[in-house]
Formats: sequence, C-alpha cells, structure tokens
Amino acid sequence: MATNGKLKVGMYWAASCGGCDISLLEIGPRLLELISVADVAFWPCAADFKYRDVVGYADGALDICFFNGGIRNSEQEEVARLLRCKSRTLIAYGACAGGGGIPALANLTTPGQIYDAAYHTNPSIDNPQGVEPEPLYTTPLGELEIPELYPAVLRLADIVPVDYEIPGCPPQADRVWEAIQAVTGGAVPARNDAVKVGCTDKTVCDECPREKKLVKIREFRRHHQMRPEPAWCLLEQGLLCLGPATRGGCGALCLKADMPCEGCYGAPAGADDQAASMIGAVGALVEAGTEERAAVLIAGIPDPTGSFCRFSLASGVFKVAK
Amino acid sequence: MQDVAAAHIPSATAAVWEPRLVGFLCYWCSYAGADSAGTARLKYPPNLDIVKVMCSGRIDPELIATAFVHGADGVLVLGCHIGDCHYISGNHKTMVRMPLLRRLLADLGIEPGRFRHEWVSAAEGEKFARLVTEMTEQVRALGPLSWPALLRERGIGHGADLRPWGE
Amino acid sequence: MGEQTVPLADPGHDNGKPRIGVFICHCGGNISDVVDVKQVAEEIGGLPGVTIATTHMFACSDAGQALIEQKIRDLRLNRVVVAACSPSLHEATFRQTLTRAGLNPFLYEHANIREQVSWVVEDKALATQKAVRLLRAAVRRAGHLVPLTKRRIPIHPAVLVIGGGIAGLTAARHLASRGIAVTLVESTPFLGGRMPRLAGLFPTGRPARELLGPVLEEVSRNPRITIYTNAELVHSSGFIGDFRTTVRLHPRGVAPNAPVRAATAACPEEVPNEFDFELTKRKALYRPYDGCYPAVPAIDWSACTICGKCVEAGGSHGISLTEPPTEVEIRSGAIVIAIGLDLYRPQRGEYGFGEFPEVLTLAQLNRLLDPAGPTHGQLLVNGRPVRSIGFMHCVGSMQHTEVHEPAAGGKLNAYCSRVCCTACLHAETELKARDPGLHVYDFHEDIRTYGRWHEEYYTKASEQGVAFIRFNPLHPPRVERDPRGQAPLVVRTLDRLTFNEELEVPLDVLVLATGLVARDMSRLVDLFRCALGPDRFLMEVHPKLRPVELASFGLFLAGSVQGPMDTVESSAGAAAAAAKAAALVSQATIELDPFVARIDEARCSGCRVCLGACAYEAISRDDGKGVAVVNEALCTGCGTCVAACPCSAMTQLGFSDTQMKSEILALLAGEAAAAV
Repeated sequence: MATNGKLKVGMYWAASCGGCDISLLEIGPRLLELISVADVAFWPCAADFKYRDVVGYADGALDICFFNGGIRNSEQEEVARLLRCKSRTLIAYGACAGGGGIPALANLTTPGQIYDAAYHTNPSIDNPQGVEPEPLYTTPLGELEIPELYPAVLRLADIVPVDYEIPGCPPQADRVWEAIQAVTGGAVPARNDAVKVGCTDKTVCDECPREKKLVKIREFRRHHQMRPEPAWCLLEQGLLCLGPATRGGCGALCLKADMPCEGCYGAPAGADDQAASMIGAVGALVEAGTEERAAVLIAGIPDPTGSFCRFSLASGVFKVAK
Repeated sequence: MQDVAAAHIPSATAAVWEPRLVGFLCYWCSYAGADSAGTARLKYPPNLDIVKVMCSGRIDPELIATAFVHGADGVLVLGCHIGDCHYISGNHKTMVRMPLLRRLLADLGIEPGRFRHEWVSAAEGEKFARLVTEMTEQVRALGPLSWPALLRERGIGHGADLRPWGE
Repeated sequence: MGEQTVPLADPGHDNGKPRIGVFICHCGGNISDVVDVKQVAEEIGGLPGVTIATTHMFACSDAGQALIEQKIRDLRLNRVVVAACSPSLHEATFRQTLTRAGLNPFLYEHANIREQVSWVVEDKALATQKAVRLLRAAVRRAGHLVPLTKRRIPIHPAVLVIGGGIAGLTAARHLASRGIAVTLVESTPFLGGRMPRLAGLFPTGRPARELLGPVLEEVSRNPRITIYTNAELVHSSGFIGDFRTTVRLHPRGVAPNAPVRAATAACPEEVPNEFDFELTKRKALYRPYDGCYPAVPAIDWSACTICGKCVEAGGSHGISLTEPPTEVEIRSGAIVIAIGLDLYRPQRGEYGFGEFPEVLTLAQLNRLLDPAGPTHGQLLVNGRPVRSIGFMHCVGSMQHTEVHEPAAGGKLNAYCSRVCCTACLHAETELKARDPGLHVYDFHEDIRTYGRWHEEYYTKASEQGVAFIRFNPLHPPRVERDPRGQAPLVVRTLDRLTFNEELEVPLDVLVLATGLVARDMSRLVDLFRCALGPDRFLMEVHPKLRPVELASFGLFLAGSVQGPMDTVESSAGAAAAAAKAAALVSQATIELDPFVARIDEARCSGCRVCLGACAYEAISRDDGKGVAVVNEALCTGCGTCVAACPCSAMTQLGFSDTQMKSEILALLAGEAAAAV
C-alpha cells in the first residue's frame, strides 16, 4: 500500500497481443472507481515506467500485479520473477498467462523451425545474408543483448507461484471487475494456488441460452458454410463449439452472437486437457455406424489440434510437439 | 536366479532400451482375447502391459495421453468388433474418438506406428499375439519416445528449478 | 435402493494409511515355473503401503483363501492384491474371501500373471520383470480403492412373455408351474404360432395340432397366466426387477355369442390366407383352423372395410366394428422374448417361383399334404396329377455374393437354416410312402440331417428310391419350361455325385425348401435395445455360458427368435429361459455390480453429452438443477459416458480416472522406463 493509502497496481505484458491490457479499460466508467482507490505503479503498455523502477520497489510493494501474456523468452521470465518478488498478489491475467493462449500453439513447432520461416523461407523475406537474431551482438560501441527465445511457450505458473488466475481471451469485463473487487476485498490469498477467479466451476454450456434437441451431429461444418438456426445448440448443428469443454464465466457472449465457443477460458475445472475432453465428447455426439462413416464425419474437422488446443496447449497434457 | 538378479540392476548400467507399450483392453472381448492367447500358450514379447477397462468406450483420450506423457513408447487400444459390443455401442464411441486422437498425435509429432487401435474378439488370441509382436517390433524400430525428456529439453517445468528473484 | 454413500473423490485409506496385503499364486507351477514368485514378493514387499507380500501354491484353494483371511485379520490389512490367473476365473472368489474376513469386497485388486505373463512370455527374467510391473501397478491402484456396495434392486415377482407360439407357451407354462404370475402377449388374434400349420412333425410324425392342444389347454386354463391376444407392443421402460411394458389391445370385433357362420359368409372381403401360405383365401372375419385358441374368430382390421355386412347378417349380436383399442401396462421383473421367425420368401423368378405355378415352397406342399388342409391331403398342383416332383434345398439360405442378390434388407443369408434338409427328406419319404411310383428328385448342395434320428429320413429316402443330385452352390440349377413338353418344368444342373454330368430333369412340381429368416426386430430393438447377430436374429450374451440371456439385464430369449431351430430345440430353449427367469424373479432382490457412473453435481453443467453416450438411456436431465442424473439401476457400468463427459464431472466407481492414472503411472515408472 502506498503512503497515500491507495493500492499500488501493476500490469505487465509478456508474450501478448495487447488485448488484455485493453480489456482492463473495458471495465469502462468503473475505471474511475478503480483509480480512486489504486495508483498504477507499473504498466509498460500505458505508462512510462522502467524495469529499474520496479527493481527499486520494496518486496511486496505492488499490492496487485496483473500479468498477461505467456513466457516465451528470457526477458519475460526475468520480469515474471521480478514481479513475483515485488508483488503481494500476482494474478495471471488472460488465456496466455494462464494456459499459454494462442502463442502456445507455437509449441507445435521448434524455435529452429520458427527462425527458418521468419528469417529465411517465408515468401516476403529478403535476407540474402541469412541474418538471424543472436542473443549477444558485439558492436563497436559495446555489447547488445536481446532476450533468448525459449524452446517452448510456458505459462506464468510454470515459472513462479501464482496467486490468482483470471481466464479469458481477453477476460470479460464484468468478470474482471468482480475479480478486482474480490481481490481488493482484503483477504490475503494462499500462494501458489493459482485460484481461478472471474469464472465459474461449470462450463460454458451452463450459461448458454441455446436449447439442446439431443440429436446426433450428422456433419461438421464451419461457420462460413452455414447460417446457424437461432436458439438451437450450435454443436448439435455441426459447428465445432468447445462450450462443453470450456470453463464458464464469460456469459456465453460468443454463443449469443451465433458464434461457436473457441475455448478461450481454458479447460473446465477438473479436466486437464481440453483436446482430450473434446475428443471424448465428440465420440458420443456423432452417430457413425461404420468406420468408413466415422472417417467421413471426422474429416469435417479440418484441424482438430488447432481447434481443440487453441488456447490451452501449454496447460494440456502434452504441452509441446516433438 | 542369477539371471533374474541381473535383470533388476537399475537401467543406469543395464543399457539396452526395450519398448514400453501400454494396452487398454475391454474386459469382454479383447482382454478375453489376450487370455485366450495365454490359454493357447502362444508366445509374444512382454513389452505390452495391459490396463483393463469394462468397455473400450471408457477409454478416455486423456488416459492415452497420460501414458505417452509419462514414458510409454507406444499405446494399443483394443475393443470388441463393431456390432459385438457387450454394452451395445460403447465401441462406436471409441471408433470415432481414436481416429480423431490419431490426428492430434500426428500433429504432436508422435509417429503413427506408436498408436494402434484394433478390434479383437474373445476368440482371437492369435490376432492379439500377432498384434503385440508386430507393434513391439514397429516401436522398437522407431526408438524411444521419451516424452518426459522432451518436456525437459523444451524447458517445461524448469520453473521449479529457478531461484526466486534476488537470490 | 443402492445405499451407497461413497464420496466422489477417492479419499484413500483408513486412518490415512494403506495396509496392503499382496498374495502371489504359484498356481501349482503354472506361474512359478516361469515367474520367480519369491523374487516378485521380495520386491513388492518393499513398496510403500505394502504390509505383507507372500506367495502360495494355490491361492484359490481353501488353504489359500484361509491364508488371505488370516492375514487380513492378523495384520489388519485394509487392501488386498492377488496375483494369479485371469480375473474372469477367480476375481469373484477372492472378493468373497474379503467379505468373509470382514473387508469390503471391492477393496480388492487382481493382477493377471498367468494368462497374460507366465503362459505367454518365454524368457523367465523378462516374465518376472513383467509380473513386478503389473503388481506395482495393482498395488498403486489398490491404494486408491474405496469401499463399494453392490446395488440391490427389488424384483417384481411376475414375468412378461412376448409371443404366443410354442416357445412362448412353453415358457409360460413352466413359469406358472413354479407359482410365478405370467402375462403372455401375442400380436395376432390366435395362439399357437407357426406350429398348427404343420401336419406330421418329425421325427415322430404326430400332427402338430395334436401336440399343441394340451399345451394350449394348460396355458389357457392356468389362473396364473393372463393372456392378451391382438396385442401390439407400444412402449417399454424400467429395468430389471421392474419393467413397465405398455401393449395396445386391438379389439377382436367378435364376441363368443356371435353367429359366426352367417357373419363369415356375409363378409365380402377375401385376402390370401397366411395359414395356407397363400394357397387359399380367407375372409376378413376368420378363424385359422378348427380347434384354434381362442375359438372365437377375429376380424382382420387390415382387410376389413367396415362395410357392416357381418353385423347385418348377425342381427347386430356379438359383432362390433367400432370398439376402440385399449392400452394396458404390464409390470414384470423379467421379460422373455419368444416372437419366433419367418420363412424366407423366394424372390420372383427365383427357381421359377412366382413365374411358374408348378413351383411351390415346402411349407405350401406340407399344407397340401395335410389331411385337414385345402386339398384334404391330395397332391394336386395346378389341377394336374403329379408324377414327378423335385425338391430344391437351400433356397434363401447359404447364399453367396457371387450368385445371389440381397433381399430388401440389403443382406444375404449366408447361414444354414438347419431344419430344412430334414423337413425336405421327411416330405419325400411321406410322398414315396403314399405313392411308391412317384419320381422324387432331391437337389442339394449338402445334406444336413443334424438332429437326433434325423439321418433315418435320409436312409429311408435312399431306400425308397429318391434320386439325389448334388449341385455346386456357385452354379445352382436352372429352372425352365420344358421345351419338349414332357412335363411343365425342367431343371438343368451339373451333378457332383456323377462327376459333373449335366442333367436335365423334367418335373411336374418343384418344391423349394425355403430357409428361415429373422423377423423384423426393429420394434424390439427400439424398446429393449437388444443386440442382433450378423444373421439378424437376436443375439445371446454367450452361446455356451449364457445361451438364453440377452446382454440387457432381465431379458431372456426363448425359441427361434434366436436362430433357425426346430420345435424340439424351441421348447428346450423356452424351458431354459423360463428357468432363468424364474430364478431371477423368485428372489426378493437382485445384486448388481457397483461399477456405475456417478456425477458430481457441483461440476456438472447439464451439457447432456452424457445422455447421448448412454446406450441404455440410463442418464436423464434434472431440469430444475440443470444437471444430469444417472439411474443406477439402469447403468450397466460401461463407462462410456465417463469418457464422454467434457468437464470430468463424471466418474466410474471402481474405474475412476485417479485409479486408472495411478495404474498407468506405476506401470511406466521403474527400471525399464526410457533410459535418457
């Protein structure tokens, strides 16, 4: 707590798209309420704080630190450890910090393959000397260090103990506000628990207003191929909705807009792997009859890995590809 | 006796890798099929350890993933032939889940020979023995999968080794 | 029902500590000749949680079980692992051992180190290693077991028998003789099934109606048996011990006091008479034969045009064309399915059937030979005397893809219908006995007189001078009009018995021995979820160990609904089904395995994926709470829903994810794991 009695709050972006930082603004006019009780002490996206400022803080000086983005390089790891030290409450904010998020799909490749594509083989690359980034580069004026790219995207909880986790890509505004209120309510959380807040212990199906007719899926289609019927479960209509295998709390916003759930709140409570959960469920939702027909049905899912692990590859069972 | 003692020396000195296969077998058909291979005294490699379920429909993809991630070099899933399921249609669900899982495993770089899904009835002891023999050799040729080592190489779990900042 | 208070998570052990007893069986050398059981005991004995690891020569023996019981008591063991033969043999035995020792029988884990280790692994060292791995996994899994209680379901002491033919009637009378209340439902207006159409039954030659008579008497008079005819199965729900089946009772239309002769004569509608296999016609108001049961005629509503002439003729006594159907719900603890089978109907042109009036089926021939039949036993076909007659075997059976077209259902009948060879030979000997001068030819691909004394017909037919011609099923005989006009038909075939000589056989009549086919089972499958075999007949759980039971608990098969068979076998099957059903409903309650699915309501989101996964409709949704609910009486313990649940709100008692993962991890840990 600062000397003026206000909370000190930080937000940091690691391997992130910036959406989480913006989502904090989504709380709208409640932002004014927030800044009446809290001062921003570190927020690279929005304010000009330096790392050395944070280093200078006392341990635990930050009352709450929101950390969004996955851990992909040595800088992000170092800052994660720094912020853990300087924060009383460290919150993994968003799908990337919590489960790896979309960046974790890079775990299906290796850094070598990524460098190849990014610096050599992609069609728009013009790099005749085959220059690649190097962690240490010597110039006439001194040495330059850039962070080292790690072999895989990690979650925040893979690096440091995390107090809370707010899932979502990005976390949904009302849930964020509830989480802020809960956390600023005063209770000191147990460490290393990564207790999930701003979400429920049920799945998106619990909040989804669409009705189930209990029919088997006859064909999988993608949403550009059909206009879904209103009020009827999208999965039953053949759109790949991950609702049954996704933690709830978002209010099923996407479903209300006729879009199938992509699973951004991560695996449900008690399930370790969204892909395994969905595959188990799909087996019971279709009626194949023969192996040939099963193959035809499954061919309607063009990218099971990408669809089922879109946001949670780093928190699933496999975590990487070979 | 001496042979047995030698076989139990820890692998640090043992050197020769043997494929580790885990099989998920449904009690009424494929597990009984494995039993009939035994009753007929058929001989096959010992590399496959069997986990019994009542119905192949119980085989959650997460269990298969768990096996691979904890060191299995190959996984075999067996169930009743379509139409013969003791629980009517449990194997129909397996029939859809396994090919889908196979695609996931392929994207993860797990070679196709490491994951097999077949139907074996209680009378097909020979088929069972042949499958295990084939698969053991197939996986032997592919080498160890070593997923735990892979995770370590990719830095998963290294946070546990880290000291808190400042130390 | 089901007094289980097992919490969802596996709490583990009493007092927080497992005390596991491990007993490794030598199996008299079957295991110990290959697996070094002492070495295994030593290694397993050192694992955490293991209180004792010891071996025994024959664990399943009285002495072996006594040892286990003693150790449980002396060492206060709270979990037991036995490594022995396959669990299919003695898992139940050892569960009882635990019960006797005062331990819950489901705190027991079984490792198979005989069928799956010592009998199949050549190298002793590797076999021993494998046994150690499997035991390590069993011990780890045992640590996660929790006490379970078998489900107790109360049994309603009555049985529903579906089908009023010989099988249904036999089952009903055996059940009633044991004091059990029976409801017998028959879809047609008359009992007796197919039997009354048969004249002389083989092998005794006695007329079928004569044999059926006393059975019908007994069943109709028995106060314990309630009979519904003209009954249509509409709905069934419930489970073993308490089935609720609704049947719709279509009105008979005719009362006992109706003037039958006048009404029948007045009826203008005529339809093919199924009793004579369409050789004759009958009215819409009809009785199949004299002496039928019930004796009161009935109105065939599919033929009746409700013209009212019968009512007029009868002076409005006893005939009603406007009575509505009623419904009745039948409660029963078990159900016996005895709906019988159908005869194969040859396709038009198949061996000339439907094209040449001289081609009949064997069933039709037998109606002609019946002294009470349409021609009073005279062999008259197409108005001509018959001097030569041929019999063609395997029509609609033993079909080959190269030769035959599938029927409407899209499947071929590749199986043998078993009884037709004997039936054919019986008819041939009968004809020859009546007229030794008759030329009789028997065209077959094989002769299968499989039953007791059936071969005698073959011997007799040979002695009587029946000519046997064996054809190649891939090149079956061709039936045509005889161009020389010697006889109406000529059959052309190669004869294997004379080294493929080509024969031309002129015939006055050709009789097709048609096969037996399954009836349309779709209603039964819908109502009772019965499994069908590849031949489309109902499939039993196990042909040797459980021949008259269906996989669904409480359902039994009687008679030819299970496959082609004769009256003798149908009766035997029906008696077996009655015995099994009686054993079931004679108990006050029944115990079922406890390996059911269980839902954690706090986690369940009511997504209903599990409802679709269940083949037994054992899962429903509580709309008030928005969660799924498992009916533990219906749950058969397959675990399919557990794997389907996308949020792991569902577990299977005895096969939870925790238990299974502990087993998997224990198998993979240890020396032989990937050396890196």
